[in-house]
Amino acid sequence: MFKTLKHYWKLFRRPSAYIGLGTLCMGGFIAGVIFWGGFNTAMEYTNTEQFCVGCHEMKNNVYQELLPTIHYTNRSGVRAKCSDCHVPHEWTNKIARKMQASKEVWGKIFGTINTREKFLAKRRELAEREWARLKANDSLECRNCHDFEYMDFTQQSPRARQMHSTLLASGEKTCIDCHKGIAHNLPDMHGVPIGEIDHSVLEKHIARLVQDG
Amino acid sequence: MATTRREFAKANAAAVAALTMGLPIPASASNLITNRELTDLEWNKAPCRFCGTGCSVMVATKDNQVVATHGDVKAEVNRGLNCAKGYFLSKIMYGRDRLHTPMLRMSNGKYDKNGSFAPISWEQAFDIMEEKFKSAIREHGPESVAMLGSGQWTVWEAYAASKLFKGGLRSNNLDPNARHCMASAVGGFMRTFGIDEPMGCYDDFENADAFVLWGSNMAEMHPILWSRIADRRLSFPHVELVAMSPYETRSFELADVPIIFKPQTDLIILNYIANYIIQNDKVNREFVDKHTRFALGQDDIGYGLRPEDPREKNAKGAADPNAFTDSSFDEYAKFVSRYTLDYAASETGVPKERLERLAKIYADPDTKVMSLWTMGFNQHTRGVWANNLVYNIHLLTGKISEPGNSPFSLTGQPSACGSAREVGTFSHRLPADMIVTNPEHRAKTEKIWKLPAGTIPDKNGFHAVAQSRALKDGKLKVCWTQVCNNIQAGPNTAQETLPGWRSPDTFIIVSDVYPTTSAQAADLILPSAMWVEKEGAYGNAERRTQFWHQLVTPPAEAKSDLWQLVEFSKRFTTDDIWPAELLDKAPEYKGKTLYQVLFANGQVDQFPAEQIEKGYKNNEADAFGFYIQKGLFEEYARFGRGKAHDLAPFDRYHQERGLRWPVVDGQETRWRFREGSDPYVEKGAGVQFYGHKDNRAIIFALPYEPPAESPDDEYPFWLSTGRVLEHWHTGTMTQRVPELHAAVPYAVLFMNAEDAQTLGFKRGSDVRITSRRGSIRARVETRGRVKPPKGLVFVPFFDANRLINKVTLDATDPISKQTDFKKCAVKLELVSLA
Amino acid sequence: MRILLLLLALSATAAFASETLNDPAPDGIRKGGTLADETAPPPMPAVMTPAKKPARNYPEQPPTIPHTIRNYQVDKNFNQCLVCHSRQRSPDSGAPMVSITHYWTREHQPLAAVSPRRYFCQQCHVPQHNVEPVGGGNLYKNIDAIMEASLAE
Repeated sequence: MFKTLKHYWKLFRRPSAYIGLGTLCMGGFIAGVIFWGGFNTAMEYTNTEQFCVGCHEMKNNVYQELLPTIHYTNRSGVRAKCSDCHVPHEWTNKIARKMQASKEVWGKIFGTINTREKFLAKRRELAEREWARLKANDSLECRNCHDFEYMDFTQQSPRARQMHSTLLASGEKTCIDCHKGIAHNLPDMHGVPIGEIDHSVLEKHIARLVQDG
Repeated sequence: MATTRREFAKANAAAVAALTMGLPIPASASNLITNRELTDLEWNKAPCRFCGTGCSVMVATKDNQVVATHGDVKAEVNRGLNCAKGYFLSKIMYGRDRLHTPMLRMSNGKYDKNGSFAPISWEQAFDIMEEKFKSAIREHGPESVAMLGSGQWTVWEAYAASKLFKGGLRSNNLDPNARHCMASAVGGFMRTFGIDEPMGCYDDFENADAFVLWGSNMAEMHPILWSRIADRRLSFPHVELVAMSPYETRSFELADVPIIFKPQTDLIILNYIANYIIQNDKVNREFVDKHTRFALGQDDIGYGLRPEDPREKNAKGAADPNAFTDSSFDEYAKFVSRYTLDYAASETGVPKERLERLAKIYADPDTKVMSLWTMGFNQHTRGVWANNLVYNIHLLTGKISEPGNSPFSLTGQPSACGSAREVGTFSHRLPADMIVTNPEHRAKTEKIWKLPAGTIPDKNGFHAVAQSRALKDGKLKVCWTQVCNNIQAGPNTAQETLPGWRSPDTFIIVSDVYPTTSAQAADLILPSAMWVEKEGAYGNAERRTQFWHQLVTPPAEAKSDLWQLVEFSKRFTTDDIWPAELLDKAPEYKGKTLYQVLFANGQVDQFPAEQIEKGYKNNEADAFGFYIQKGLFEEYARFGRGKAHDLAPFDRYHQERGLRWPVVDGQETRWRFREGSDPYVEKGAGVQFYGHKDNRAIIFALPYEPPAESPDDEYPFWLSTGRVLEHWHTGTMTQRVPELHAAVPYAVLFMNAEDAQTLGFKRGSDVRITSRRGSIRARVETRGRVKPPKGLVFVPFFDANRLINKVTLDATDPISKQTDFKKCAVKLELVSLA
Repeated sequence: MRILLLLLALSATAAFASETLNDPAPDGIRKGGTLADETAPPPMPAVMTPAKKPARNYPEQPPTIPHTIRNYQVDKNFNQCLVCHSRQRSPDSGAPMVSITHYWTREHQPLAAVSPRRYFCQQCHVPQHNVEPVGGGNLYKNIDAIMEASLAE
């Protein structure tokens, strides 16, 4: 057994004497494509809802809460799945997020959140992590669909128009500052400001709007 | 510059007119009306017309109309709060289709069972009723006439009905719709304590450390009591709330421990908790030894279905379901020992840690627990058992009859306690917890009613579900319903209720305020007065009796149910309907009308109309010439005084925001059976369950038994039915309030989103809900306030266009005869996707 | 043939039965003479979002909710309604502040924050769907109409 292994190791180390360099490179390239493709396919699979709700803690907790929301079901049927909001679309960020996510798999395997009670106990922490992430990337995953450039303020409610045209426009605030808990229930929110408004900033903006006519 | 009053008034009128038409107001006119004569409102108290909470409301009247209502700040129950229904009470009497005149089915000017309704006079209405009642009694005996009344009757209406039927017409076929609502609670009280109604009171809400909701969705069904719970839970962080139900409800919004259990397995959880308390040595031995005894209840008691049903034939204990034998603590401990945590978790589907947390709340001697339940326990084929089992837990731990430690049976209707239970309008009951099958009880009643011995029949009459069956089978010929809507609210409508009502052999009279589904199924419709159109009294869930004055007059020919009952009694003489041997015992009654015997009897008519508080109308006193409400109340109060059901003198209730009985020496009672609070407890006893002769409450050994019908391959879903916050029962009053109708316009099929997906339904799909008995169609709601788990659907019963009771099963608790509206099996089929 | 006849006879009895169960009756919330029928459910109506807030019937009436509240979280963790309607947030949000009564305890003593007894907004305040009133509408007259009538006399 050990002998056989040794033999193959030798074979592996030895420069090729039988295969042409071109063939070798070509084969390597094809293998690379297959390997890379496989990697990405596998990664794609980890982005599917099916994968996400494969765990009970996702299916029984956050997924159930998503079902009645407008991000799951709405007039036109355009919907967000887990990864749309929780996984960056850009490659490096995505990989970084996936590395983080492996911690959640660890949690799954070792039962950190295997009951509703444990999930609820950790919910604030989990939520805060997502809020911080979205705050840090300026609500990137929101903006993948809700692009400020293409918002039609005339179609928004007066209140939304006011907020979006000032605080969001200036970059003073980002989506997650006000829109927490839009797709899942909120944890105990004691002490969490929701869209808390810095009055001086608001007044400055309004003054400028008035000035601009 | 002096403006005359007339000019001022004219300017005001223009302003008001402009306002109401939405026009801009001319500068000269003022939108401010300050004239006291115009702005003065007359405010009076009245209990809310709806649920059993018994909130007091202030009612503003002007020009014989109710113009505004708000929560009564002086009332202890609600302290200024009302729910959405209560805040819109002003509008319930003014639906455009209010019934104004009696109507009879006729063809060619004569009564015809299949004819169309035509208006008639009260005289003609009583003529046909008299003819039908008399011929039925003559040909088939008094057992062939019946009345279905209500926990929404006023106290004196219920009492008058009881006298007329049991004492006058000599039929015990009088039952209230409270049979569908509170009968199991009554059964539970009578078995465990030997006396009806809660020992605790609403003050418990401010004293409890934990609340356990056994199926009850108080957030919607008792919103004002819920506000007291929310106040306690959110103000004091140590307080815990356990919400239990077969589906998630709004009450789960406040839950620290949410528990979704498989239907019917509440019995297992109850026994598991008792077992946990015993296994962990948390039994309050001193209390148990001193104040309780043990009994083993009859099991395998059937499901109250028709006797030919195999489920009845095979039930060994169905003949005497209420039977029980003496037992002991050790036997009881052994009995519940099989209800282990493992067994409970696997049978109920509830995670172990939650079951344990719940059990610990009860077991911890330092946690004051309030258990609350309503229809989840009561509308249950083992409803009496469920009531008994929850008392077991409180008795084992001694957590009872003291502030905050309180097993609390909530009521559904505003006077289920006052009018149905205390007055004893059930087919087996008499006032003050007495029963018709007990000769002493009958004798006592006959004495107070001044009737010859043997007047009251000694057999139980037909209860609500039995009435429907007897009408269908032709055993009942005439049935009169007041203040209830049994075609919509009774179970198994298509098979068991409607056929009897529309049978050519029967004559059905419905007294109501609007053309309800029951009115539509009747032969004679009588227009009733409602709420503050008459003087009334209600009794709420905490034994609080509340009065109100007549504040406005009813429309057109509408008359109170009291007037209808008493006026109709003039149509019978004792010679018509009493046998000669009975009359011989009371020759003075020969030739007398039932009105003379029952109402103008020297007792009921002893208070002159002058005693009515100045400034208030009283149409019934005008009609009969005496203060009939006071006379009926004072005669009725004689039953309870000195028997631990004491009521205060009549006039005092008009001054108070209600009083909780027993009222002894002018003092109400908050915690019964507790020395220092309840005057009936003997000195030094501490606690005394005086309802039973040995002063002990009974701890019952009762098992889990399966429901009458469970889902199977053909009918794979559980169906549960109930109410929503915005509508009261069958919606006849609340749906006519435009704001409440717009809030919840139609009954929908609440179902699990994943179930809907699996079956190919969408939210809003038109779906047929079918059981073995019937079907209806409704729209799917997957994101509503009721969130069922997979395998269960919920449909409210308020909507006349979605008669969900065509689908439900008429299985009852065999002891209480109350229907289980919460469990039957259905299948769902798509009619159209949108 | 016999089976066909039997079927015909059966369907005739069925028709007769449902006809009797559907004897004529006045219209209520349900149309008269339809008790035995399986009626089609109307489509689920939309929540009304009127540009102008509806007038109250009387000062003590809790205002109805003039917007949708889909997925508004009101539980022991969070109260979404107060995000706009609280005293502190109302100037910025432009939403009406909850009334002073909402600060009272059972003893009518104002608290520093909204009283927990008023925490669950939907006990009193309800959204409105776009539907016609039933039973031909409601003839309730508000105090303005009654004052107008008494002035006109």
